[in-house]
Amino acid sequence: MAACQIQNPLQNPLSQLSIRKTRPCLHKPHYVTITAAGHHLSGRKLRVAVIGGGPAGSSAAEALASGGIETFLFERSTSTAKPCGGAIPLCMIDEFSIPLHLIDRHVTKMKIISPSNLAVDFGSKSLRSHEYIPMLRREVLDSFLRTRAQSAGAQLIPSLVTHLEIPSSSFSPYIIHHSINNSRKTLAVDAIIGADGANSKVAKFIKAGNYTCAIAFQERIRLPDEKMAYYQNLAEMYVGDDVSPDFYAWVFPKCDHVAVGTGTVCAKQDIKLYQRGIKERVKSKINGGKVIKVEAHPIPEHPRPVRVRGRVALVGDAAGYVTKCSGEGIYFAAKSGRMCGEAIVRASDGGELMIGEDDLKREYLMEWDKKYVSTFRFLDMLQRVFYGSNVAREALVEVCGNEYVQRMTFDSYLYKKLAKGDRWEDLKMVFGTLGSLMRCKIVGREMEVFKL
Amino acid sequence: MASISISASLQRACSSQHIRRKQKPIPKPTYSLGTKQVMNAVTLDMEAQKGYKTETKEEPASEMKKSKDPEERLKDEFETESSAPKFRDERWKNGTWDLNMFVRNGRMDWDSVIVAEARRRKFLEMHPEATTNEEPVKFRSSIIPWWAWLIRTYLPEAELLNGRAAMIGFFMAYIVDALTGLDVVGQTGNFICKTGLFVTVIGVVVLRKTQDFENLKKLADEATYYDKQWQASWKDENATSSSDRIGNT
Repeated sequence: MAACQIQNPLQNPLSQLSIRKTRPCLHKPHYVTITAAGHHLSGRKLRVAVIGGGPAGSSAAEALASGGIETFLFERSTSTAKPCGGAIPLCMIDEFSIPLHLIDRHVTKMKIISPSNLAVDFGSKSLRSHEYIPMLRREVLDSFLRTRAQSAGAQLIPSLVTHLEIPSSSFSPYIIHHSINNSRKTLAVDAIIGADGANSKVAKFIKAGNYTCAIAFQERIRLPDEKMAYYQNLAEMYVGDDVSPDFYAWVFPKCDHVAVGTGTVCAKQDIKLYQRGIKERVKSKINGGKVIKVEAHPIPEHPRPVRVRGRVALVGDAAGYVTKCSGEGIYFAAKSGRMCGEAIVRASDGGELMIGEDDLKREYLMEWDKKYVSTFRFLDMLQRVFYGSNVAREALVEVCGNEYVQRMTFDSYLYKKLAKGDRWEDLKMVFGTLGSLMRCKIVGREMEVFKL
Repeated sequence: MASISISASLQRACSSQHIRRKQKPIPKPTYSLGTKQVMNAVTLDMEAQKGYKTETKEEPASEMKKSKDPEERLKDEFETESSAPKFRDERWKNGTWDLNMFVRNGRMDWDSVIVAEARRRKFLEMHPEATTNEEPVKFRSSIIPWWAWLIRTYLPEAELLNGRAAMIGFFMAYIVDALTGLDVVGQTGNFICKTGLFVTVIGVVVLRKTQDFENLKKLADEATYYDKQWQASWKDENATSSSDRIGNT
């Protein structure tokens, strides 16, 4: 599936459509612009505040601090467990040097189950022996990344940010009002990275615009040992109108329990109904289990209209970097945080120069879009085609039975790289997909005749 | 088949005045009201029964075989309130269709395989079943050969369109002859007539219904919507540049 990108590359990359690649300070022909970019800071380093201490914020803080910038990391609650799938791609372990003892489970088998209960094994034949999907607990990962950012030199401020003052000129600092232990304090910084998640306050203050969110609802269930053995290293995905109208429902194994949940964009008020639907579908496998926690969280569906304004940049969930189709966000959050931090280090020459909006856009936004827009677009197309109706979902499960499709999917998911496939196999895969879609559509039309 | 047995059981139930067949509610926003649901179930099954009159004539044997099953299932349903009707078909064995049972007159009847699979999927759509590890579903529709699909769907529609095209062609030839004096042989030599023919053929193939045009437009809009959302950050630069740069940066 990922290999189809080779056949339809972006003819006109996003980056070249509206920005001219000239000098750092972009001048429009009509009026003179006065920017502070390039101004040398005498006697001090650039001060940057990262608001939000999850994977995005911690990676940004680490990149900034290692680059020599005075970094402040704000995190209001350092110990809550975030409601999250907890799956990361394999490449994240290498790229972010995550120690292996943090991983709770190695998922080596996946099952995807269609509305008519056709179950396809994903990975038993197509995953190589050293490959797996690591599952970990968010609180463990987050605190590891945060402590690493601190040891790189970032200052952790465990307080809640309440207000942001936007400066009037390009030289004056941003004032952050925060409250810690019921006492209000302020902090002046030159630039801000907003990494505070789906309900981002920073986004509200810079008027970045709204986005549609999906809601993910899950229950953590502790199973009896013999049932837990089935989910030892197996994750399941269920599709169907009874479990979600436009997404999938899942059973993911965690450290000592399973998380059973579902998500939806268009029918948020019926989420409990869909949760009941998924629990009915896995009834025999979770019989005797006890619900230990119920949680829900919004997941952004697309990027915010504005991701950089002034000297404030949004990263991670706050910017809306969650892929469609799989709902993956941890890797992209961490990667965008790191890229933004590195962009600021580059633009300010290690903290010596003041930066401006154009620097952020050129070094961070353009690089990010160039690298990942096609991935996001491709997954959006997959979601639209295959999650739309029961007919399409049956076709999806049939297509996933193909070993080549599985191999390509794992290559692009685990390594986040365009999978280099065999042209002939690609063609066969495309025809196979079309064939499956047509067959399932024909059966779907037959189904409409029946009034059971 | 499932529907025959359900309707058979319902007839018995109606006659003996035990109307308490609980149907699993389909997950839609208006799902409450148990009694209403039962009424719906009754009417729906009556329709299904009528629809299957022809089928019952063809296979009286299977109905006899099913006579035991409905009773057992009826008892099951009364005992456990929450159990939904399970999909049952004598040709569905161990999670796949037994293809030997579809042989008719010594030849494989793929049409009935397609119909049976469609009914199974429809049934599961209305009454979703829990997955079990003991009886996994293994049937793949790719086992049905491509020509069976063509014969069922493509050929009838092609016949229809060809018929329509032939009728249009005949009357247009007559009208053009009356207007211009060119007979059929002369028309085939004329360039304007040939382009007219070409446009008509393409038009009939592409726009079979007026709905198709709207669907294509909607598809194009949807396909580019996500792209627009990503580009919004860049578009904004032009809009805010004047106020922001002088004021803020």
